[in-house]
Amino acid sequence: MVSYKYSDKGTVIHRLNPWCKLAWIACVCILALLFDSPVYLLLLSLSTLPVILAARVWKEWLSVMKFAFFLCLLIIVINALVSNQGSNVLYQFPFAIPIAGAPRITLEGILWGVGNSLRLLAIISAFTVLMFAIHPDDLMLAMVKAKLPYKSVMVTSLSTKFVPALIDDAQRIADGKKSRGLELDRGGRIQRVKSYASIAIPLLSNSLDRAVQVAEAMESRAFGSGQKRTFYKELKISKGDITILAFVFSSIAFGVFLRCSGQGGFQYYPVVEAVSLTASEWTMLFVLLLLVNTMPILALLKRKASLD
Amino acid sequence: MISIKNLTFYYSGNDKSALRDINLEIQDGEFVLLTGPSGGGKSSLCRCLNGLIPHFYGGKITGKVEVNGLNVMKHSTKELATMVGMVFQDPENQLVTVDVDRELAFGLENLAFAKEVIAKRVEEALDTVGIASLRHRATSELSGGEKQRVAIASVLALYPDILVLDEPTSELDPKGAEDVLNVVERLNDELGITVILVEHRLDRVVAHSDRVIVLENGMITADGGPRSILSDGRVSQSGVGIPPIIKLAQAVKSRGMSLRVKRSNLIDDTPLTVKEGRIALAKTLRHSKPCASRHSEFFSPVIASETKQSHLKPLIEVKNLWHVYPDDFVAVKGINLKVCPGEFVAIMGRNASGKTTLVKHFNGLLKPTRGDVTVGGINAKEATVAELCRKVGYVFQNPNDHLFCDTVEEELAFTLNNLGVKGGEAEPLINQTLERFGLTQYRYQYPRFLSGGEKQRVALASILVAQPQIIILDEPTRGMEYRLKAELMKFLDEYRRECRAVILVTQDVEMVAEFSDRVVLLSEGKIVVDGPKREVLSQALLFSPQINRLAQALKSYGVPGDILTADEMIEALA
Repeated sequence: MVSYKYSDKGTVIHRLNPWCKLAWIACVCILALLFDSPVYLLLLSLSTLPVILAARVWKEWLSVMKFAFFLCLLIIVINALVSNQGSNVLYQFPFAIPIAGAPRITLEGILWGVGNSLRLLAIISAFTVLMFAIHPDDLMLAMVKAKLPYKSVMVTSLSTKFVPALIDDAQRIADGKKSRGLELDRGGRIQRVKSYASIAIPLLSNSLDRAVQVAEAMESRAFGSGQKRTFYKELKISKGDITILAFVFSSIAFGVFLRCSGQGGFQYYPVVEAVSLTASEWTMLFVLLLLVNTMPILALLKRKASLD
Repeated sequence: MISIKNLTFYYSGNDKSALRDINLEIQDGEFVLLTGPSGGGKSSLCRCLNGLIPHFYGGKITGKVEVNGLNVMKHSTKELATMVGMVFQDPENQLVTVDVDRELAFGLENLAFAKEVIAKRVEEALDTVGIASLRHRATSELSGGEKQRVAIASVLALYPDILVLDEPTSELDPKGAEDVLNVVERLNDELGITVILVEHRLDRVVAHSDRVIVLENGMITADGGPRSILSDGRVSQSGVGIPPIIKLAQAVKSRGMSLRVKRSNLIDDTPLTVKEGRIALAKTLRHSKPCASRHSEFFSPVIASETKQSHLKPLIEVKNLWHVYPDDFVAVKGINLKVCPGEFVAIMGRNASGKTTLVKHFNGLLKPTRGDVTVGGINAKEATVAELCRKVGYVFQNPNDHLFCDTVEEELAFTLNNLGVKGGEAEPLINQTLERFGLTQYRYQYPRFLSGGEKQRVALASILVAQPQIIILDEPTRGMEYRLKAELMKFLDEYRRECRAVILVTQDVEMVAEFSDRVVLLSEGKIVVDGPKREVLSQALLFSPQINRLAQALKSYGVPGDILTADEMIEALA
């Protein structure tokens, strides 16, 4: 069982300024959206791994990825069935649908699904860092600094905090129902929906009670007193952080430059392109990936330097 | 100083007053214990003190509440936050940040204190409450007692003059409760903070209080010093749990013996602590003639559990049970246990000692990792929860987790329906069960709107309508007022006499002492002791009832050392 909860593992990544991590996540997302070539996307996905490993969140990452793979499989299958572009026909369905024409499965359709799955994997992989390696209170501070309204940020942060409590609640209620002879997974579809609905009612009702209690407790500690709020801890940006940010931004800039100079594009339709990179293209790509990975390296160096 | 004049309050949409004609003055530095039956208005009164009523909870309010000269009606909860600190019942639902130190800073941040001031006050509050070692921990990882202390520290950082605690220990285990109450007492002693504490279990805190106020039906029915209030017969009739020591003192006095608590007190007085009781009783015993029933080592002969069990076929048989959770936590380590018909077994132990894990095997909610569990002849490993629930009823702690139907009747019918008992067959069973639990008048009401005790009865009825041979209750008395507890226990006692078994997971020593007959003590997933309650509880330190601590100390006067309850003590002294 993996608990989907932030826990401070004290790694260099956990210790790093949240702005650096947020910038890095943004950087991976931008690059993932920028490039089309499956080679670029695959390597980009893989290049998020050092950060995951350095933050020691691989267990959480794996469980998220299991879900992501399922999602990707869905994308590939659906795209293969729906897209009838592409010229390498693997299977032609023996019937036709009005307007859409005769459905067929093409190599291009499948490969497009695969390519875009890689894009999705890179983005999800980067977001696990947001979930498991950025302190929620720090994230909140960063959001407030970014001029988002404090109350909305607080509500969002609170709602994520109470997700584990909600899961516990649901488990307990389901156990209670089972102890009264309810078989949750028995019966037809309608019966099962009814069974699960019987969990939803107490769950909802308990959550409402909880919401009132939390609000009461916050009110008692002067939440929303009208004054401009101060902050006990602030996000200090050190010179080291600025260096890391500079590298992260430069990797975005370098990526944009590569893309503009024609690298990393890819054509699926009508005929899938062959993947071939020139020696200089490979070099450039590796430089880019190295730039993306300067964050964990510099974070490590920074920790070393601060200890000396 | 708090001054309340002619306060009456109705929650909106409710024609029954939550508070009626309250007149009260509380001086600075007082330690006030607020008690009374649930639904009596304790929480409502607390909410009036920091303006949650009427600013957060709307309703009709008349009268006047003044805190340090400020009229609560005109000043918001936020303004009052620096005067009145509120700590609530559920430790989960009052912490809003991830880290302990930020939690302490939360109120100060809201009030826009400068960063330096916040840092200083967080530091102070951590030390005052004695939780400096927790400062960097995540609040979600803390135990209940630790969370509650964080909650206290977080209001303390606002420098309140008054601390209001609404049943702060009802969700905690005895150790956690002890830690929290120690802190509260110290704040009152050393910092002179006025404390208003709502509590059901008085034995632990009564000695420290200056004043006890009893609230019933929204009215103050008793108000005065703890010794006079608790020895007042009317108060004990209202359902307030009178500590066993005081009950004993009352009985001793009614027999014409005098009790002297302190040397200076020449008049009769009521002991509040074990120590006072010890001194008083020792004096009384020294001066009175020894009588026949004394001078025995045991109150009643100990019946060896084996001889009692041998002639009956056990309902539950556990053989070398191990349970490992998916996160590799080994919760139960090689447990062997037999439960026979007619037994009332209390399973005790610290938090996370494996109590709940063990009993969840009895109705199939958990399956053994290794070993065997046989329930009524069925191998629980292969049976589903639904199959086992004909034999085993499992009642969870919080009745809110049980109830979801539109009426009380449907709640009962739901269980029967799942077991395949429908329509005409179910009708008499439902009627009978409703009758038995005194729920007939609530038959068509929405169960979640009933009071706490009624909800508990509906939850119990919804399980027992299936007439299981074994009933398991997981911490049923936590946060329950005394009268309801006693009612529940009496019912369970009747139930097991019908050749059924009752298994109670609990940390409530006094209840176990009074009602169960066998205690299984767990620690770190293993059985430490398993035996008759008299044997187990009279040889324990933390797990011994108040009266037993007294009996142990009075052995030299010929008082049997295995006495557990006030009634037994009275019998032995007679």
